[in-house]
Amino acid sequence: MKGAQIPAPKGIADGILSFLKKGLQEGIFDALLLPVKVPAGDSFSYVLMRETDLMDQASPLPPVMPVQGAKALSNLTRYGNGAEKIAVPMRPCEIRAAVELHKLEQVNLENVFLIGLDCPGVLPLKEYLKNPKKGDALYRKALQEWALESPRWVCEICDPVSPEAADLHIGIMGAPRGKLFLIPNTPKGKKLLKRLDLKAESSLASRQTEIKKLAQKRTKNKERALRALRQEVRGPERLLEIFANCINCHNCMRVCPVCYCRQCYFDSEALKMTPDNYLMRAQRKGGLRLMPDTLLFQLGRMSHMSLSCVSCGMCEDACPMDIPVSRIFTLVARDAQIVFGYLAGRSLQEPLPQVIYREEELKEVETPYQETYRPS
Amino acid sequence: MDTAFTLNEGVEEGLKKILSSLLEKGKIQAAMVLDHTEGGGAAYSLITDPQMMAQTRPLLPLMPANAALALSRLTLKEPLSGPVAAVVRPCELRAFVELVKRGQGSLDHFIFISPVCGGVYPLQETLVKGGIEKKLPEYREAMRQGEIAVDIREACRTCEHFVPTGADMIVAAMGQDDPETHGTVFMQTDRAAELIQDLGEVMIAEKQTEGPLETDLIRKHQGLRRDQKKKLAQEMQLDQSGLDGLIEIFGRCIGCHGCRAVCPICYCELCVFESRDFEPKPVDFERDLSRKGRLRVPPDTLLYHLGRLNHMALSCVGCGSCTDVCPVDIPVSSIFIQVGESLQELFDYLPGRDPEEEVPFTKYETEEFAEFED
Repeated sequence: MKGAQIPAPKGIADGILSFLKKGLQEGIFDALLLPVKVPAGDSFSYVLMRETDLMDQASPLPPVMPVQGAKALSNLTRYGNGAEKIAVPMRPCEIRAAVELHKLEQVNLENVFLIGLDCPGVLPLKEYLKNPKKGDALYRKALQEWALESPRWVCEICDPVSPEAADLHIGIMGAPRGKLFLIPNTPKGKKLLKRLDLKAESSLASRQTEIKKLAQKRTKNKERALRALRQEVRGPERLLEIFANCINCHNCMRVCPVCYCRQCYFDSEALKMTPDNYLMRAQRKGGLRLMPDTLLFQLGRMSHMSLSCVSCGMCEDACPMDIPVSRIFTLVARDAQIVFGYLAGRSLQEPLPQVIYREEELKEVETPYQETYRPS
Repeated sequence: MDTAFTLNEGVEEGLKKILSSLLEKGKIQAAMVLDHTEGGGAAYSLITDPQMMAQTRPLLPLMPANAALALSRLTLKEPLSGPVAAVVRPCELRAFVELVKRGQGSLDHFIFISPVCGGVYPLQETLVKGGIEKKLPEYREAMRQGEIAVDIREACRTCEHFVPTGADMIVAAMGQDDPETHGTVFMQTDRAAELIQDLGEVMIAEKQTEGPLETDLIRKHQGLRRDQKKKLAQEMQLDQSGLDGLIEIFGRCIGCHGCRAVCPICYCELCVFESRDFEPKPVDFERDLSRKGRLRVPPDTLLYHLGRLNHMALSCVGCGSCTDVCPVDIPVSSIFIQVGESLQELFDYLPGRDPEEEVPFTKYETEEFAEFED
């Protein structure tokens, strides 16, 4: 595979923005969806823009992820594509979440150019907010040296470092000094390059080497971190302990890009019972926590979304009680996805495991009906 | 004069024994109190086993969730069939009364026990090593002196409604002698007095004190809270902030809507701001883009906050849960409380003061606010 090169003499962000600006000016895109610093300067939000005047405040790779890009994209395209052709540069986990949401019919990619970016990880949102200026400086350094000090846990172990689902990937790693790679992955991406008069003729060998190196490092981190975590969370008692501080705000569910249900089952009428029901449950054990079903919510949400979990870490960033939500979900999601040979967001063509019917599947964990219900 | 009983114990221990004894004698079906969780925090629990009362923490200065949410969940479908005691803070009780006015629960058969409230600590304090327990000596000393405890939440520091209204029993955690050795409990209703009648020998000293509940110490504390409130209003200068000021404050909102989820007044199962009506269609984006050239996505961040404010401010009890839950530290309650109180003043309405008092917007007056009319 080969890629084109674009100039980035004034740094990575500037190089990416210049490319996007050109696409906008030449009418290849009608609008851009980009993270922009909020007026107070203490965070970022996605802004859809048609003009270039706001671009000097845009940060294609901000130090934090206050909103998952796929969630913003879903908000924009859930009801179908408009006439606008929108270019959306996003981090790998955002691209992967967008792919999952496309499969779940919550994102329409028809008029969207998905543009992938290499990502060094992001800072925990709460840490960043303590001192945004310091976070910005830390991140500027990270973009230069391609190593981020104290990133979020999920970022440190993220090993699908360069997903291929984006139409076009902007390669930072391995690019010659002052340059960026443009790597077309889809016919849409190839057409885009052609319209910009760019030819994918540069070798990506140096990039492959760096990607491999980073992926190996992250995989090693991942194996180590998950092994330790697995020991820590084993058994229902430990799970209860970890989620004991949960205050049922369900922030995790509402910021999760995959949890798209407008009304979560666990907030629905179905779980609201009569007083006698709660009293009966209390009597059984001497006491009942109110609200009840805290752990049920966590496990329920996990079973609903973990096949599509991209480990973006939003849930943990949004948890006011600092529960390690994204770690536990990452652990379970990885195991669940391995069972089905599935990697969330890897490919638009790969169907969701839940929608494939196989006559013979997972027999090793099956208990035959007769065995379960044999009269004793 | 207020009728009160002096306990043989401090307020919290005494309260636990009262409840345990009431459970034992079958005078209540259950008690809803704060209980320790496995994670070092606390959560409301519905206790039926008298033995289990010993481990509970009814007066722990923490509000893991506004108790009104739990009380509403308990009685949303139908009223209680027998007596249940609930130990809740004044703002929690007022929030529940507001919910009951909206058909989200029932007061029937509840016996409300509420402390003179010294405020609670931010939820995040439970995550610090040592947690709330480490703070308790300092907290109790402040209560004895009628001072504002250091580090309690801003919503509490500036709250003037710390003496409960509508409770059956008031635990004088402040304002009486020796709350830690010989606590005092004031009976506000006949059913409360009746309930504790034969508990005398177990935990209540022979002495029956004669009020009043509101002592000089409490009046002093009232003054301190009022000063704090004034100071906050001056610092924030909300009336000068304008739209730009609000955008500065709410700009970093991540749209998690946790503030709505934990708000005891925001009871809607589906918030209008999460409904289909507020999901933009492609034509909406194109229209807004043509008009402004740019658009935050998802849109309506400030509209959500102002809309929620508009929907619930008349009933805002100032419990501070919204600020506690905000993962990006937006001072939601500081704004909602100020706006809420100025609005409530216009209608001479104090949310939760009286279950019989109608919510202002359900009342029709032929002449109202003529001064704002053209």
